[in-house]
Amino acid sequence: MLLDPQLRARLERLALTNRTRLRGVWGGRHRSTRLGESLDFADYREYNPGDDYRRIDYNLWARLGVVLIRLFEAEDEMPLQVVVDTSRSMDFGEKFRTAQRLAAMVTYLALISGERVRLATVPEPGSTSLVGPWARHITSWPKLETWLENLHPAGGTDLVAASQIVATTSSRGPIVLVSDLLQTGWQQAIDLFGAARGGVVLHVLSPAELDPDLTGDLTLRDIETKREVPVSMSGDAVDRYRSRVQDFTAEASRRCRRVGLDYVLATADTAVLERTLRQLVAGGVAR
Amino acid sequence: MSFLAPAALGLVALAIPLIVLYMLRSRRQRLEVPSVLMWSGEEEFVSAALPWQRLRITAALLLQLLAIVGFAVLLGRPFFRETTLLGPHTVLVIDSSGSMATAGRLTAALAEARQLAADASAAQLVSVVEARAHPRVLAAFAREPEPVLAALDAIVPGGTTEDLAGALRLARGLATPDRPTTLLILSDGGIAGTIEEPVAAARHVIFDDRGDNVAVTAFGTGVPGEGATRLFLEVANFSVGPQTVTASLLVDGLEVGSVDFDLAAGERSQEIVTVDAGPGQAVAAVLSDHEDANPLDDSSTLVLSAGTDLTVTVTGEGSPFLNALVESVPGMRPAAGAPPDVLIVDGGDATIVDRPAWILAPQTPPPGITVTGRLEEPIITYQRPGEPILDGLDLSQLAIAEADIVDAPGWLPLVRAGEVPLVLMGEVSGHRAIYFTFDIVRSNLPVQVTFPILGARVLDWLGGNRVAATSTAPAGTPIGLAPPAGGSSTVTLPDGTTVSLGTEATTFTATAAPGIYSVQYLDDSGEPAGAALAARQFIATESAGGARQISTTLDESLTTEESSLLREWAPWILGVLLLIILLEWWVAFGRPRLRLRRPAPGAAS
Repeated sequence: MLLDPQLRARLERLALTNRTRLRGVWGGRHRSTRLGESLDFADYREYNPGDDYRRIDYNLWARLGVVLIRLFEAEDEMPLQVVVDTSRSMDFGEKFRTAQRLAAMVTYLALISGERVRLATVPEPGSTSLVGPWARHITSWPKLETWLENLHPAGGTDLVAASQIVATTSSRGPIVLVSDLLQTGWQQAIDLFGAARGGVVLHVLSPAELDPDLTGDLTLRDIETKREVPVSMSGDAVDRYRSRVQDFTAEASRRCRRVGLDYVLATADTAVLERTLRQLVAGGVAR
Repeated sequence: MSFLAPAALGLVALAIPLIVLYMLRSRRQRLEVPSVLMWSGEEEFVSAALPWQRLRITAALLLQLLAIVGFAVLLGRPFFRETTLLGPHTVLVIDSSGSMATAGRLTAALAEARQLAADASAAQLVSVVEARAHPRVLAAFAREPEPVLAALDAIVPGGTTEDLAGALRLARGLATPDRPTTLLILSDGGIAGTIEEPVAAARHVIFDDRGDNVAVTAFGTGVPGEGATRLFLEVANFSVGPQTVTASLLVDGLEVGSVDFDLAAGERSQEIVTVDAGPGQAVAAVLSDHEDANPLDDSSTLVLSAGTDLTVTVTGEGSPFLNALVESVPGMRPAAGAPPDVLIVDGGDATIVDRPAWILAPQTPPPGITVTGRLEEPIITYQRPGEPILDGLDLSQLAIAEADIVDAPGWLPLVRAGEVPLVLMGEVSGHRAIYFTFDIVRSNLPVQVTFPILGARVLDWLGGNRVAATSTAPAGTPIGLAPPAGGSSTVTLPDGTTVSLGTEATTFTATAAPGIYSVQYLDDSGEPAGAALAARQFIATESAGGARQISTTLDESLTTEESSLLREWAPWILGVLLLIILLEWWVAFGRPRLRLRRPAPGAAS
């Protein structure tokens, strides 16, 4: 079970929000980029033959002598896509389990909010589409949870390709990216995600990555790329590493904000869900 | 720098395998990490083809090389020679006289002696002689520091004068025939002329710290009074500036009066005070609310005793001053025709003296004394230190018109003008005698405030101390004990400690500390059988705190090795090594990780 009952009960008292207009396929409760049939007045325009005469503003017609019809806001669903990074770099400590639980938390929150949600994984290099199921109702939760639990980190992934796929897909909802961003080109991927949809980046890193406790002469082996780096773990070297990691997370945060994405650094520890949820609420992603 | 084990320097060769280890490629532990992106920039150049790599001079390598050199040098036991006061056999002659209580001189001397004892090697013998009124050997031929330190702990400042000559004789007696013996005199120098100088095979370490000092230099009875006891009190200022002090008078510990003194630098002031005290009571003069360089001379005590009457007859020319003296001293009276106990021969013939006599400038000297000439206006240059008759009396203002120059073998000069004796102590026909070589009428002695005291003491001594109004004596003077047959004695010292003595003890000699000594006699069943009080006074000549360098000559037979101390550098090298190891650790692991573990970014709530 990815979510314990207490957390699910808390999530059921929240709902996802959207700070910008979006364009959905189906009607919903979020302000759309198009005009529609809601009760919220949007604008006037001149009457054209064929327009619904029930929208003619007779008061203006009598006062100004111009036939204008009232236009209203449309309300669409929020088609949310939760993209989980399944690269080998996520297979370290509790990172991938944390990513699964974070994705589950956001998915459950979307389903409770009545949104259409899709779970997908970052594709391997060369792929042209995201793979994962869509769901719209809370009754689909067991199926999505099972799908999430069956994910395993393996091989390499291509964040840039995933962002390009998302940018070109017809669905115009926000993206939730759950990844450690430990790939070259992560900056481009974030730019594309933000330009396409907006959303949240849940940056998952393990405590050992943030503050390593290593000594001696070591050969570090990248579990994803298999690249090896000989390093003498002096105190200065570890300090420089910490400094680089801080710069990395600061740069990711800054870049996300610049392209309209929310950024949450999720350290893979036991309290990560509580902490992340609190930050999402504070950031206005949920309320 | 010399080495005790130079072969150990060969361990420097350990630097070679260390350098080889640095040139060998290390077998690194392989560790999987999620990504090496963040470690870019930390890569080290590692050649996969050769087992060797270019030697890189790093701080760690330099520190390790330094540590190896340090260890090799440490094991080589480097040493240097330091000139020492110690020789193959050193006799520490430590002056514990009253003047050494000035400004912590004795404390400094004992500290120096302890340091020397600690520095002495097993091949060096150390003996300790305490120079005080009665010199004593406290440690002899000690090879270990413990007995020397125990002997030094037994030395406490007293109120006596030092007998440096006696102490040096004792020290010479400890000389070892098989090794050179050096006398190390730890003293403020004592009084010039008391020892023969230069002292051979000796060194003098002088302790001459000074400080302001005001002292009770004389406190005694002997001035007539009616019904009450009249006391003579003298306070002297040895400070460089004026001092104002109050001397409180205490009878059996209760204050009965006080006297204020305003003293210029170097001034002495005398007062005669009357207190309501009688035989058996202890009287003390204490400089209250006063602190100075020598606390031992800030009080003086005496015990009043009844004594017995002494009859005195003045013969010869007879001076009215002498008659007045005899009539005024308590416990003395003119013989009135009866055979006197003591005879005063003022001028006249002193050839026939059949009883104790005070002989003053006789026309015919007694047997054993020959007048060889006359000296006009002699100036007093010497008063025998520690002499009870002169204790506390300052005769420096005594002016004498002329005095006989006498040849008196076997007589002890008490007062001299240069080499000319003015007052001598000796015997005539087996009787005690005091001989003045000048006529007191032709001097200002009778008008000196000290005259009644001096006269009373002379007569008292001549009479066998029967008349003494006090049982007071200079510090260091033994206390005679008279326990009942088969009984014992217990003496309570001025500091409150109690010493139990056996049935055989007839004297108590540990009287260096000035103050009241309380003697309790016990009979053979342990029941109290009488008590007595005795007072011991600080010897006033020690209050001046004078210091001088004693002239010495070194034993030229001492070799350089015998007069130097071998000291190893080991502690310093060990310290440097620890520092190097600490630096090495810091270089290897960065700063000490004593800081609180920094919370992971994003972990903050």
